[in-house]
Amino acid sequence: MAVTHQYLPLDQVRPGMILSDVLLDAHGQVLLPQGAVLTENTLSLMPRHGIDMLPIAAPGISPEEQARQQEAHRARLDYLFRKYDADNPADAATSMLHSYVSSYRLGAPV
Amino acid sequence: MNPGQAQLTADDIVAHLDDLPSLPVVVMELLNSIDQEDVDISVLAKKVSYDQALTAKTLRLANSSQYGLQVKATTIQQAITYLGFQTTRSLIMSAAITGCFPEGRCAGFDDKEFWRHSVATAACAKVLARQIRFNQDYAFTAGLLHNIGRLVLVSSFPEQYAQVIAYRAEHDCTVLEAERTVLGVDHVQAGVALAERWNFSDTMRLAIGNYPTPEAPGAGFLAALIHVANAIVCALDLAQSGDDMVPHVSLVAWNALGLSEETYLQLFRETELRYDEITAALLSQAG
Repeated sequence: MAVTHQYLPLDQVRPGMILSDVLLDAHGQVLLPQGAVLTENTLSLMPRHGIDMLPIAAPGISPEEQARQQEAHRARLDYLFRKYDADNPADAATSMLHSYVSSYRLGAPV
Repeated sequence: MNPGQAQLTADDIVAHLDDLPSLPVVVMELLNSIDQEDVDISVLAKKVSYDQALTAKTLRLANSSQYGLQVKATTIQQAITYLGFQTTRSLIMSAAITGCFPEGRCAGFDDKEFWRHSVATAACAKVLARQIRFNQDYAFTAGLLHNIGRLVLVSSFPEQYAQVIAYRAEHDCTVLEAERTVLGVDHVQAGVALAERWNFSDTMRLAIGNYPTPEAPGAGFLAALIHVANAIVCALDLAQSGDDMVPHVSLVAWNALGLSEETYLQLFRETELRYDEITAALLSQAG
């Protein structure tokens, strides 16, 4: 689930670009799924939903680059969670948060 | 006072509160009315409209997609009509408070980073609140203000606070530990003192005073919610603060929310999406 994406203002988004992320409206309802190819028609509807930025998939990331980013994410997570002890029962909730955020950033618990 | 020599007391904090920048009178009125329903809305709306900068910022926030307006609100009265009084009130307060503290007064204290963390916590708290059907406006405001005591300390005691920051960097401890060691007081005490001076509601004061210790008796549910939101924001690295550290997460607070892994993954995503937008609305002109 380590998605590489960039946020682009609506006026820079062109038909054919790919949504790198699920698009939600203000009520948390799904407007478009992740991976949807944007069309002129869908783009014209965005202002009505108050959306002026879209997460767009960055094209052509090499597997090496992807691995490098994974590694950077992993190192950063290790650093942010540097004070918690996975074996300490008192840290059980911190441990769950660590596991969930790892899944979120890296696609799998570490 | 001689920096580094004398430790501060709660009384010192209170004695300096008067030197803090004051909020616009109308915002104080809004704060005081947060738990009551019978305020005269049209009078308040009118008073807010006299402050053009505040109005503009409030409307920018109201028109962000977080609130899903089909039609853009162009006046405070319209925002109230579309979003309701409670929500508009929380937007006005957010807009007022994010602009009221002077920046750059304390060496090593990054005001922008502070507000990024606060706004991210507000966004996350609101998403959490929606999941568990808690009052989203309370959650948003408490998230925004949970650390406000740091600004109180930074504004009142800038030299001493610079030492707190240096101490924290040197010992890689929590902010609270650094504050208690160097100052003898911490930002939670300062936040509570400000909450009392500014007449925040009991709900808000309890959340500010207990978010690091949500398992304390009488801490209240909002404290648990903010506790978890704060930890999530650190874990997601939203404030992009170099030496950030995920605090210990209270099992009591975690269990009080009772959310599944699937729900967390979804709300991480949503928090990240909302955060960018609220940052643009609240912090762009400040910066």
